[in-house]
Amino acid sequence: MHDGRRRDVLKAVAVTAASALAGFAPGVDAEGRAIRSRPLMTVRISAATRQTFGPVPHGIRTFVPVSGGNFEGPRLRGRIVPGGGDWLLLRSDGVLELDLRIILETDDHALIYMTFQGLRHGSPDVIAALGRGEVVDPARYYFRTLPRFETSAERYAFLNRIITVGSGEARPDGAIHRIEEIL
Amino acid sequence: MTCRPLMRVEVVVPPPQKLGVVPQGTRVIAAIAGGTFEGPRLRGKVLPGGGDWTLLRPDGVLELDLRITLETDDGALIGMSSFGLRHGPAEVLAALSRGEPVDPSEYYFRTAPRFETSAPQYAFLNRVLAIASGDRRAGGPIYSIEEIL
Repeated sequence: MHDGRRRDVLKAVAVTAASALAGFAPGVDAEGRAIRSRPLMTVRISAATRQTFGPVPHGIRTFVPVSGGNFEGPRLRGRIVPGGGDWLLLRSDGVLELDLRIILETDDHALIYMTFQGLRHGSPDVIAALGRGEVVDPARYYFRTLPRFETSAERYAFLNRIITVGSGEARPDGAIHRIEEIL
Repeated sequence: MTCRPLMRVEVVVPPPQKLGVVPQGTRVIAAIAGGTFEGPRLRGKVLPGGGDWTLLRPDGVLELDLRITLETDDGALIGMSSFGLRHGPAEVLAALSRGEPVDPSEYYFRTAPRFETSAPQYAFLNRVLAIASGDRRAGGPIYSIEEIL
């Protein structure tokens, strides 16, 4: 995630080569540019004891309350206000859907409402290890989110105007989300 | 962030329906008349129907809420929905609204598409998140979609 610029260059070269061969360049905009990103922040979430609802019409529902945490990036940092949580739904195809709502409080006391929808899935042995609370290399499973933000604080209003992508890492006591701003 | 090309979607948008000022902003609904999509792993046409429920917020950001149906060249149906944001300098947005061609690097137009399908050969779409870069043309937008790896 953090050498995105180099990857972008490599990707741009690859896409240019591919489009020269195929006369067609999906994944870049109409002018041939690849989508670029830059680090926004890392959010570390502490979870409280999960509440298992069991089978509901759309899958198996679990709620993970958020007890706290922190976030830090080049342009903002602070703590996660206790409350909110992640409403998980295990679908019949084995994919876990995430639906998170939390509140961030910056170190200069602005409140930021953060939500995301996400997906997590992987091989049965990896998912079973996560279920037992073991630490698993996040490269071994797919855990991606689309965070959105709302704030009334003028200095953080840029958050109201961006699309972002998070890479998640499940931890025994919560989760770590490395979030990139899509430029 | 690592990603790879998923597809390019071009949709045809007739003149939209301007609902005007609603409680959350200014609502404009753009019906989708059709279109095409093509990528390394799938291609086909955009079926008529569906649309983009756009909301111009008081802070000048246009929220996009698109729902369309894709039909692949081998007959599978794929539901696509996406949330997006579009904003830019006033003169650029004014040129777009007049239907003039504008370099898409002059404004921010990004969306996050989601997919659903029952077709086994495209079930990977149920399991991925994606990001799109948009290019607003006079006849309708072009979305270059990347799968997030």
